[in-house]
Amino acid sequence: MCFKNLPVEFDEAGVATLRRDIADPYALSVTKPDVGTTEAEREERIQRLMAANGHIKDINMDPVTRVAGALAIHVAADLDAGEYLDAHSQATLFRGYEVILMGRDPRDAIFVSSRACGVCGGVHAHASAYAIEMAMGLRPPPFGTVIRNLQEAAEMGYDNPLHLYLLAGPDYSEAIIRQSNPELWPKAEQYRCPNEDIHGFRTMADLMTALNPLTGQLYREGLDFTRLSREMFAVLAGKFPHPQTVVPGGVSSTITLQSLNEYHSRLAKIFDYAARMMAVWDDIPEFLYSCDERYRLVGARPTNHIDPGYWDDPYAYDATYANCNDWGQRRWSSPGVVIDGELVTTRLTDLNIGLEEFVEHSYYDESSTSRHADDTAGNPISPYHPWNKRTLPRPAGKDWKEKYTWATAPRWDRKVVEAGAYSRLLMTAKARALPANDFIEATGHSVRMLIPKGLTAEAEVEWHAPDQWNALERNRGRAYHYLFSQLVGLNNLLMAYDMMKKGETRVAAVPADELDDHIPSDVRRSVGWWGAGRGWLTHHMEMENGKLTNYQIVTPSTINASPRDPWDQPGPYEEAVMNTPIIEDVSDPGRFTGIDMLRAIRSFDPCMPCTTHVSTQHGTIVREVNTCSCGAD
Amino acid sequence: MARTASNGTDQRTPADLLLDFHGPVERYHDREELGDFGMPARAFMEDLLEPIAKAGAMSRLGPLEKVHAFWFAGMSCDGCSVSVTGATSPSVESLVLGAHPGAPRVILHHPVLNVESGANYMRPHEMALSGELDGPYVIILEGSIADETRAAADGGYWSGQGEEPWGPDGRMRTVSTAEWMARLAPGAAASLAIGTCATWGGVPSAEGNPTGAMSLMDFLGKDYRSAFGVPVVNIPGCAPVGDNFTETVAAILYFLQGFGPLPEFDELGRPSWLFGETVHRHCVRGAYYEEGDFAEEFGDKECLVEIGCWGPVVNCNITSRGAINGVGGCMNVGGACIGCTMPGFPDKFTPFYKRPPGSLASSTVARMVGSIMRPLRKYSNNNMNREVRWDVHGDIPSGWAREKSEPGVVSEISHRFYDKLRRSTDTGRNEVEPWGKRAEWTKERDSDREPDLTLRAGATSGRKE
Repeated sequence: MCFKNLPVEFDEAGVATLRRDIADPYALSVTKPDVGTTEAEREERIQRLMAANGHIKDINMDPVTRVAGALAIHVAADLDAGEYLDAHSQATLFRGYEVILMGRDPRDAIFVSSRACGVCGGVHAHASAYAIEMAMGLRPPPFGTVIRNLQEAAEMGYDNPLHLYLLAGPDYSEAIIRQSNPELWPKAEQYRCPNEDIHGFRTMADLMTALNPLTGQLYREGLDFTRLSREMFAVLAGKFPHPQTVVPGGVSSTITLQSLNEYHSRLAKIFDYAARMMAVWDDIPEFLYSCDERYRLVGARPTNHIDPGYWDDPYAYDATYANCNDWGQRRWSSPGVVIDGELVTTRLTDLNIGLEEFVEHSYYDESSTSRHADDTAGNPISPYHPWNKRTLPRPAGKDWKEKYTWATAPRWDRKVVEAGAYSRLLMTAKARALPANDFIEATGHSVRMLIPKGLTAEAEVEWHAPDQWNALERNRGRAYHYLFSQLVGLNNLLMAYDMMKKGETRVAAVPADELDDHIPSDVRRSVGWWGAGRGWLTHHMEMENGKLTNYQIVTPSTINASPRDPWDQPGPYEEAVMNTPIIEDVSDPGRFTGIDMLRAIRSFDPCMPCTTHVSTQHGTIVREVNTCSCGAD
Repeated sequence: MARTASNGTDQRTPADLLLDFHGPVERYHDREELGDFGMPARAFMEDLLEPIAKAGAMSRLGPLEKVHAFWFAGMSCDGCSVSVTGATSPSVESLVLGAHPGAPRVILHHPVLNVESGANYMRPHEMALSGELDGPYVIILEGSIADETRAAADGGYWSGQGEEPWGPDGRMRTVSTAEWMARLAPGAAASLAIGTCATWGGVPSAEGNPTGAMSLMDFLGKDYRSAFGVPVVNIPGCAPVGDNFTETVAAILYFLQGFGPLPEFDELGRPSWLFGETVHRHCVRGAYYEEGDFAEEFGDKECLVEIGCWGPVVNCNITSRGAINGVGGCMNVGGACIGCTMPGFPDKFTPFYKRPPGSLASSTVARMVGSIMRPLRKYSNNNMNREVRWDVHGDIPSGWAREKSEPGVVSEISHRFYDKLRRSTDTGRNEVEPWGKRAEWTKERDSDREPDLTLRAGATSGRKE
């Protein structure tokens, strides 16, 4: 029984039903989650502190840089107490991908939806292909699935170092530490790095100097490795971002031994580097924890994560919803939901029917409908489920109590969950369902990985699920995920060779000129479950008479950047900021930089372009300037 | 633009209309009040990099020491930024660090790369507007520009970056990307549009979108000229090849420094050395088209036109340049061209994976020509796959599949005739005796005599000795 809030029960066969004793089970006033601090309590506290204390800063940071896309964050900070009292995450850009897709030929969806995000350069194309082939009944041949897996392993190879060294890394660099946290610098000079033998930096000060933007060795090396992985991607997909070879029912890549060798030879360079990356991102948290225990609370959140899994078993994946729990279990990273540290389900149908998207604080009209009562397999879905959701944008004034962002509020079982590359490790560790292989092992609480020999010797490393998720553990998890994804790449490369040996080299289900015959005329609904550099990605669609009638995208940053939900539970960024202590010296308020909250926000690897993929009808925007929750300008 | 009004046209551009609405800028952020919020290094990126990036006198190859580059993301996916971080010829870090000899250092103000956030990040933009900047600047736009006039009428925006005290009574107001472009474009040394959204509107302007998304040149109007007299420079692609952008920037800088040639741009402002040809002309599969040999299934190695490739009518260079560091390229690896560099993208190319109807005539012609050309080429190719020695001996010492390589009687006779024809103008056949060698040990190249079995025996016995 994975649902605590939604009134859903399961019979012996695992089919879900709605509890019959509740009249309107999905009503917002009927089925409510446990909410910690209510919005009223939060506001009352701010008012009280405002009256007693002049050191409350109410500031909007627009733009937050070193994130992908347009993000602004509003905070109320109590500089005396060193606390963030309130936070609002705002997505400040919208474009219109869902709206553009509705009414089109489904063959357009892959290339059009890819343009939702150029940072996660290939993931939308793949998620879209998954959704289309489920609707059209096209099962990719095994080689096609393996080539997809190889592309997407390469994509993670680009994404993780991009974040760790270009976006988040500078926050831990000498250039910033010496200015924002001068108390740490003498300690950094004294601190001998435990992993010096792996990454080569003697002291933490040396390591932090290498993180300096553009001039630091680690920054530059990170940039170069993003290029190497993008080359691997381009060998199979033509270009990055926006791959050119993802088609309904497989890929169109022409694969020869040369393609596999070019991929292989670049992959070979990555493992030594992965070892250094993990060593760096192990040493940084250990140093900061040793300096100040409060760093365990920067960006802290409860262990509530969600991930639909990634990289399919080519022989199990059949593109059907009916069998999705079977093929989902056989993914290289396991689907699942973790609530309060416990794995509550690994079934894709549970992930799907528990998903709802709310717009109370987003610039949309109420988007829910009762069009569909179930998920096509008999399991009940909510009126707020993507298959029942419309995209009805309605620009309005920025008002923290009403609407203040273009991001929606996706929730699972009405709980606030977060998504991330590291969530993939967490699910995989707990689910223990990894395909048999020589390199990765899940233990229930950790993931053990063997680093193949490169120029340095082979080694075994282990990622342990942290007790307390925070900014530093997200970064550490991302570093381990880098190795994990590249080992998935290696496993799939070996499979590709094996298939070539067997002559199983068809890459797509049907030729291009037969796609016409497979476009159904009846009503079909489908979902592509996939991953991005930041975790969860789904495309839900409906088509009728060969035309897309609905298209709904839920991205990881929509989940993480989400605003308050109908019960005023703050979204993950907001919650993480409010849990963040102000550790920097703010005795002079003019020198308040906001570094602690920036570390908290950047640890999620925000990616706003695809968070805000929605566009408006002919609307108007009325904006109240300087509105804040506490009513003080 | 004032320029538009002064040259007598009364057509107001979207940029004019937006600025008409907002009126002039009267104030900027109070530097004192800003403090260090969002500035964790307590320094701008420019200052942080200065010790490494600033060139000494000996490295200066022209009048410019530095150029500011303000990068804006309008209705974008950030894919152009990502592409540019992948560029290697030159790389973005070499330009920013002043490590590309001859080019001035580029002070890049980029929301994805800079250290400073919030109002402090926007300060150099304000300085560019107020004329306080210590050098020339260019503006770079990725993403389309929404029609902001409608939203602005109600005090709102579609795509914003930064808050400025430009509202009534100095109140803070989110400033749209479009407004920044309209204000900064007249004073910019150059305005560069990167990617198909900024150059031609791209996917955000596709059918069904209500935002009125448009390109930078549509927004600024045809009379727009930069401070240096240049219309909008367009580097299209979705996403573009990163090197196409950095190379264009570098070419402009070389010219401004005085040592580079004037870069040529076509009638749409594209660098003509990059976009002057169709991508098909560079395509590694182009010769399949020439021989009328077309892919039927996804993954096939032949020309992709019949599975939906638009390459023959699309201006692009990705098949010769590769996507990143010379690697990849759509058709090179099996991806059919969907025209992502073109003003007509996407709606003139959809639905995708459908054979362009216009290709029927030309591919039929190619098939007919190919049906003649292919056997002839195969015939010569077989001949070239034999050593002269094998021809002489009538024997192929290959353990692999020799039957296939052995010529038939007709082929052997016709090749003898063909070789005569081919060598009819070979001056090596002229009636002069070389005198610097021993003639009797020299094997004649002419093969129109019988195989010399004695020579073969001699060679064999020679090895034995």
